[in-house]
Amino acid sequence: MKIAVMSCIHGNYAALDAVLVDIDQQKAEKIYCLGDLVGYGPHPNAVVEQIRSLDIPTVQGCWDEDIVEGLNACDCSYPSLLAEKRGKLAHEWTNKEVHPEVREYLAQLPHTYKEDNLCFVHGSPSSNHEYLLPEMDAFIALERVLSSDADVLFCGHTHVPYVRTLDSGQLQVKVNQPNQDEQPAISFNTPVKRIINVGSVGEPRHGRPNATYVIYDTETQGVSLREVEYDYQKTCAAILDAGLPPIFAWRLARGLEFAEKADDPTHVCER
Amino acid sequence: MIIAVASSPGAGKTHWICQQIAQTNKPIGYFSPQTDSLPIDTIYLQSEYPQLKIYQTGEEAALLTEADQSLIFLEIPWYLDLSGIEPLLKTLNSHRVAIISPDANNTEFTTWADEIVSGNQITKLTTSLQIHRGVLTGEILDFDSLATFWLELTQGAYGEVVRAKGMFDLEDGQIYYGDFMPNQPELEFQPLNLPRWLDGRPVRKSGFEIVGNKLDQAEIAQTIKDCCIPESAISYYQQQVKESLATEPEVELV
Repeated sequence: MKIAVMSCIHGNYAALDAVLVDIDQQKAEKIYCLGDLVGYGPHPNAVVEQIRSLDIPTVQGCWDEDIVEGLNACDCSYPSLLAEKRGKLAHEWTNKEVHPEVREYLAQLPHTYKEDNLCFVHGSPSSNHEYLLPEMDAFIALERVLSSDADVLFCGHTHVPYVRTLDSGQLQVKVNQPNQDEQPAISFNTPVKRIINVGSVGEPRHGRPNATYVIYDTETQGVSLREVEYDYQKTCAAILDAGLPPIFAWRLARGLEFAEKADDPTHVCER
Repeated sequence: MIIAVASSPGAGKTHWICQQIAQTNKPIGYFSPQTDSLPIDTIYLQSEYPQLKIYQTGEEAALLTEADQSLIFLEIPWYLDLSGIEPLLKTLNSHRVAIISPDANNTEFTTWADEIVSGNQITKLTTSLQIHRGVLTGEILDFDSLATFWLELTQGAYGEVVRAKGMFDLEDGQIYYGDFMPNQPELEFQPLNLPRWLDGRPVRKSGFEIVGNKLDQAEIAQTIKDCCIPESAISYYQQQVKESLATEPEVELV
């Protein structure tokens, strides 16, 4: 069965619309969404309404969580003072715009969603603020997949798509504690695991304005990273009309998103 | 000897002067009229060549008396009218060098100069150039924020830029130099060879100069403001840097 997995729409309705058309053309039978439906973009309500109307299984992203619980992430959310100021401005705008029923919908979204041997998260199984970057230490990456009890972990959050295969191997774990006799080592084998980052529909960061998402075949395990052109100028115009900072439109048009990445990829937000 | 150097913005006056300084053993002097409020090139050259003697506005008479023993460069900012500075140049009897872009047809400089030097390729604009200068003395910027702003600036987010340069005090106590010209390899921000400032707001000149077309000055000013470390965090950052420096092992090059 072909499934489509998308993430990080960020209130960009034109991008979502184009991706849904492409998914239809790819004949995917089911769609999953990894959160961040809102934030930065000018159409948070329309995006949520569309996702709801299509009954797409969706997990909560960090931006969705911030709209529900308030902006109280630790410093990990922003790589710079400038990104923090812009992020807070976008949060305040979105917070004022979202309808009560949209907020209620975002509030009931789960942090993880599991189906058979597939697990869907926004950031990582540990936190929707954590970044699973492609260069992350293999042991930590494997631990994150194992903790999800799945063979394939779909994530977003970094806005840059990638596929990482963690080969099967033997792990040996030994815990030494002070003032205790040496503990025996525990060995076990791990099967092949995969992390699939699906990129971003509404706020790409790969240097082009095109939306990205993934088509996955559950029978062949084949992955297709899709890059979809859309009328990004329409979204840019809507950003300006909404009174959001013009720099958001400028960055969106160049596939630069808003540089919201963590300095330390293994850091887990302590909110 | 006094050498007056002129060019359009970005053609490479300061770079050419650097090359000349590196090739001589004579005492060197430097004067750039009407740049006292934000002497970016002066401070850059002084950090590269600490022995450089700097002349300020009002010290023009000293140029003449010291020109016998020294090689003195007089860098003329592009925005100064050449005819306006002509009386001073005549008094100083200077040798005139014009740095000219390879495909430029600039008769003003060619008729003015005693010597023509080929400079950088520069962007031609059909409209007149704007200059936007900002003095940031006392402000400390966050490096990652500055890097984001600089990328946006040089890629045209705030208007068409044909030249941008600046000196910025950053949170590690060092002052950094940034320099941009279209069609030239982009330079990383580099720390100037000046002492770290780790005791409150720096009391030394810093700022930026942007030359271009349709520059959104208000947005540039606001973005730079958003890059500045707030008063409440300055001492925290400086304490962190001091502690970090105190624990660094001293490395002696043999």
